Amino acid sequence: MSSELQFKSPTFAERLKGMLGVDFYRLFHTPLFYIFLAIAAIIPAMVSAMTMMPGPNGEAATPLYSNVWQIIAASESLYVIRGIADYANMNMVFIFGGIMVSIFIGHDYKSGYVKQLFTTHAKKQDYMMSKSIVCAFAMICMCGTYFIGGTLGGLLAGYSTEVNALSLILAILGKMVMSLGWASLYTLINVIFRRYFGISIASSFFFGTGILIIGAAAIVESIGLPSFFLNIFLYGSSVNACLESSFGTLVICALVSVGWAIIYNVLGSYILSKSDVY
Amino acid sequence: MNAIEIRDLSKSFRGMYAVDHLNMTVPKGAIYGFIGENGSGKSTTEKLICGHLVPDCGDIKLFGKDYTDPGVRVRVGALIENAGCFPGSSVYQNLRMQTINLGLENPDEEISRVLKIVRMEENANIKFKSCSLGMKQRIGIAMALLGDPALLILDEPINGLDTDGMRIMREILVDITKNYGCTVLISSHILGELEKIATHYGIIRRGRMIMELSAEEMDARAQVFTTLKVDDTEGASSALAKKYSDVRREGDGSIRVYDVDDTEEIVDYLMKSGFVPYEIKKNKIGLEEYYIELMSKKEDA
Repeated sequence: MSSELQFKSPTFAERLKGMLGVDFYRLFHTPLFYIFLAIAAIIPAMVSAMTMMPGPNGEAATPLYSNVWQIIAASESLYVIRGIADYANMNMVFIFGGIMVSIFIGHDYKSGYVKQLFTTHAKKQDYMMSKSIVCAFAMICMCGTYFIGGTLGGLLAGYSTEVNALSLILAILGKMVMSLGWASLYTLINVIFRRYFGISIASSFFFGTGILIIGAAAIVESIGLPSFFLNIFLYGSSVNACLESSFGTLVICALVSVGWAIIYNVLGSYILSKSDVY
Repeated sequence: MNAIEIRDLSKSFRGMYAVDHLNMTVPKGAIYGFIGENGSGKSTTEKLICGHLVPDCGDIKLFGKDYTDPGVRVRVGALIENAGCFPGSSVYQNLRMQTINLGLENPDEEISRVLKIVRMEENANIKFKSCSLGMKQRIGIAMALLGDPALLILDEPINGLDTDGMRIMREILVDITKNYGCTVLISSHILGELEKIATHYGIIRRGRMIMELSAEEMDARAQVFTTLKVDDTEGASSALAKKYSDVRREGDGSIRVYDVDDTEEIVDYLMKSGFVPYEIKKNKIGLEEYYIELMSKKEDA
């Protein structure tokens, strides 16, 4: 250690690199991440397979989907869900992701490690940004395993594989891009409810279901706006990334995701800087 | 330049002041013993310095810079309440995370160095949750020592440790201040232990700093007293009280004569008065007694 004290301020990039490094190290060294990757693969596989199972008296099942890819993305933008088939697609990753983020951030507080982070990181945005990026990465990985599980399940169930490949790829990319916005939302929720682990998980689950889109849809409809306006919401854009996706869909997803991520990060950083860590 | 300079710092919780317009000065290179009863505001002050709590008002400077300066904060190591480690991860993994957080080059060398300082080289691969309390405290210190800290803030690091654990902790703290030039702010209830290492003291009460003094000043203020044991305690104490101004009878049957440096003179006087002491000890009031006396004076006031 030096006898002459020098205090060199780390740059923003150095600070973020340090925080990201810790979070990625934790992510890859915790079973939680791998459990959620497995969950993201198993659930769509099970849903696909179960929809083709014969009834109790041996009657043929009524197929829930018309092709393999509908478990990945809905065939069209359905903001208000009509049935399980509209709901069970890659958007479920955002529910799993919400729970994972709550546990991930909850461990920071429960173990007390957050004290080490905030002692050495005076700037609170380091924490918000790092958590948002790492959790978005985790959700993107979950999208990957979801795709594998959903595809295998659909193929085993005997669904058709006919699809517009470009739209499918754009839909998957759109949902992956949306992960950043969702991860930022969950990080904000967990920062707000950092003292209440149960409420954090419940809130993340609640927002992840996208149930609030029903209220938003009602408002948009009542003021006579086209349903396209629902794309300004995270769930709206996530639903919009469907099997009819175009490049425009991907651009909207990117704009909406980044836009909300910035808003949530600014809000989270403000809350952390104006309130006690615990 | 002082390591810590706090002016007019306040923090309240639901309208109750935990830290009430506190002033504090910790010289660079000091081992600053931060003393106070439970709920006096020691931990709150430490958390405020570390940026864990947001102050209501006041000014905190670390090495002459504002405490929110990232450059100075990256050189602060803290052990507050617990080590802040993930229980399911190994000691090595926890330390590794902190080296990444601090962006340290040669992390393995740095981990070996701090584990050696806290005498835990052999325990790097055990899970944190399997460690004993003493080991956990030492890991907490190792975490705080990573990355060349200029200031260590340790909240009750010797609480719950056995005698051997306390000795090891004491040696570690002296070692890091002497050999690494670190300033240490340490709060503890175990004043006897603190007395052995602290170079400065700060006494806090109800969120206010009531006294700051160096170990030398403390030494100068500490009263000298002679403890005597005689068969006739009552008679001997009456005789001594005729000559000396501060004579006290203790619960164990001994007599204390304060502020007289010449023990021989006391014994001589006592013998001439017809009392033969069978036990004579010369003592100095320790930090603990000084603190208790100071607190009782404050209580009376």
